[in-house]
Amino acid sequence: MPLSDDELKDAICEKAAKSPKPQLYIKDFYKCDPDSKPRKIKNVANELVREGRLMFWSSGSTTMYADPSRIQNEEKNR
Amino acid sequence: MAKHETPLLDQLEGGPWPSFVSDLKHQAETKPEVYDILGQLELSYKDRITHWKHGGIVGVFGYGGGIVGRYSDVPEQFPGVEHFHTIRVAQPASKYYSTENLRKLMDLWEKHGSAVTNMHGSTGDIILLGCRTEALEPFFWDLTHEMGQDLGGSGSNLRTPECCLGTSRCEWSCYDTQETCYHLTLHYQDEIHRPAFPYKFKFKFSGCANDCVAAIARSDISVIGTWRDEIRIDQAAVKEYIAGNYPSNGGSHSGRDWGPFDIQKEVIDLCPTECMWMEGDELKIDDKECTRCMHCINVLPRALRPGADQGASILVGAKAPILDGAQMSTLIVPFMKIEKENEFEELIEFIETVWDWWMEVGKNRERVGETMQRIGLNNFIKIMGLEPIPQMIRIPRENPYVFWAEEEVEGGFDRDIDEFRARHAA
Ligand code: HEM
Ligand code: HEM
Ligand code: SF4
Ligand code: SF4
Repeated sequence: MPLSDDELKDAICEKAAKSPKPQLYIKDFYKCDPDSKPRKIKNVANELVREGRLMFWSSGSTTMYADPSRIQNEEKNR
Repeated sequence: MAKHETPLLDQLEGGPWPSFVSDLKHQAETKPEVYDILGQLELSYKDRITHWKHGGIVGVFGYGGGIVGRYSDVPEQFPGVEHFHTIRVAQPASKYYSTENLRKLMDLWEKHGSAVTNMHGSTGDIILLGCRTEALEPFFWDLTHEMGQDLGGSGSNLRTPECCLGTSRCEWSCYDTQETCYHLTLHYQDEIHRPAFPYKFKFKFSGCANDCVAAIARSDISVIGTWRDEIRIDQAAVKEYIAGNYPSNGGSHSGRDWGPFDIQKEVIDLCPTECMWMEGDELKIDDKECTRCMHCINVLPRALRPGADQGASILVGAKAPILDGAQMSTLIVPFMKIEKENEFEELIEFIETVWDWWMEVGKNRERVGETMQRIGLNNFIKIMGLEPIPQMIRIPRENPYVFWAEEEVEGGFDRDIDEFRARHAA
């Protein structure tokens, strides 16, 4: 059974809070729920961005997702 | 922000070619921060290392693409480029602009950014180079609200789709490239603005094999116009070319005297599949051998035209990367009807089959062409639900691209080989 939207959101946020590096690939979130389709996970991750619970980090060629407080902290120290 | 001494860069103004150094100096007269681009670049030439910091969290709200963050790592020396973000703006189909639209866009960019542009980037969109973080949202507001224009793609998104002139001006176009490009751009807004993929993904649309947008070299899915019936021949016009009454190649080589037109040398001998010949004064084509390369049609446009049963070939997997070699797309579907009437249903289904698989199997930062290579063409076409055909590879006789799976072999791999050999000697 795939997780509900809210459960999936929490799992994604937890992963973003605890990952070794703040920037995560969308694929890293697939593991949050192996039963959810990649497109579903992308949609939920983007909803989290709109809610302000995740943030994009882009190199220009690759876009990653990050926990806002962690990434803003890292950006400050760059 | 004052002028810096730039002896190394100044050398780039010495040649007979246009120089970006001269352009930037000119721009700096009205936008003094541009002096700092020159200063920082001069320092990079001296230090032999870039002084740009790549990437960051900049963007406009809700968009995971369209803005590329760039910062100086020596902002004390060059405050004008402390922030110097790039903005990608979607170009109109086939790059048809009105001067009014261009002027407005340039005014907007003077107001919010450095006024430095690159028309166009290698993806095909408008590149606006250099603005500060706090200018992004105001710029975006004006772009979308005053001009009705949108950001293009960047990062792990679908990149701004691009098309050739197509049926708007070109008689060779085998499908409506502009309509297709526009329709898919709207259909895939989410994929353009919100990163969904392991890495970038591009589609490009050319109306024929002349491939004016270089789809075969630059796009993950290349849609290239073709036909499946016969090249349409006007034998009377062929005679006019032979008699020298019509200029070959539409007159495009008329700057020099190349001597009288020679149909054997300039058309027949250059046909890659050697499927053309003269029978008396009639030009003949063995259409089942023709690869639809467009060469003969380019040389004799008034005598030859693409066939009437038109559509496109679909190729997958081009890339022009920094790491590993560049790679052209591989032909996957030799002919597909590309039609607005069914809202490009067949093409969309193809695209989404590729995506669903690649999103699952593609590694981070792996282009779809690399994923294909990693698993092998034979596996890729199985996933796409297609049968292998010789057109998929360059030299079928030399390349064992089809492998038997055990279930396809009568008796499986453990069959009694001696019994088989008794009937068929090795
Ligand atoms: C009188 C001696 C030989 C005869 C009649 C012979 C005949 C053949 C034939 C008919 C083929 C198939 C070609 C094709 O399907 O295109 C072949 C392939 C081959 N033979 Fe021989 N062969 C002989 C000696 C040798 C020797 C001495 C070697 C190696 C030391 C050798 C190595 C190969 C290899 C590697 C292939 C496969 C080539 C490929 O598919 O690219 N053959 N041979
Ligand atoms: C460092 C040593 C070698 C390198 C780098 C090398 C490389 C290659 C390459 C790139 C191919 C083409 C494979 C393909 O088209 O997929 C090939 C084919 C072949 N090589 Fe070598 N090779 C080496 C040594 C040898 C040796 C020592 C032999 C025989 C004693 C040999 C026999 C063959 C044969 C028979 C083929 C054709 C196989 C076929 O078409 O089925 N190679 N090799
Ligand atoms: S790709 Fe073909 S159809 Fe498109 S503009 Fe070029 S020549 Fe014309
Ligand atoms: S289109 Fe190309 S392959 Fe076909 S007949 Fe003309 S030159 Fe030959």
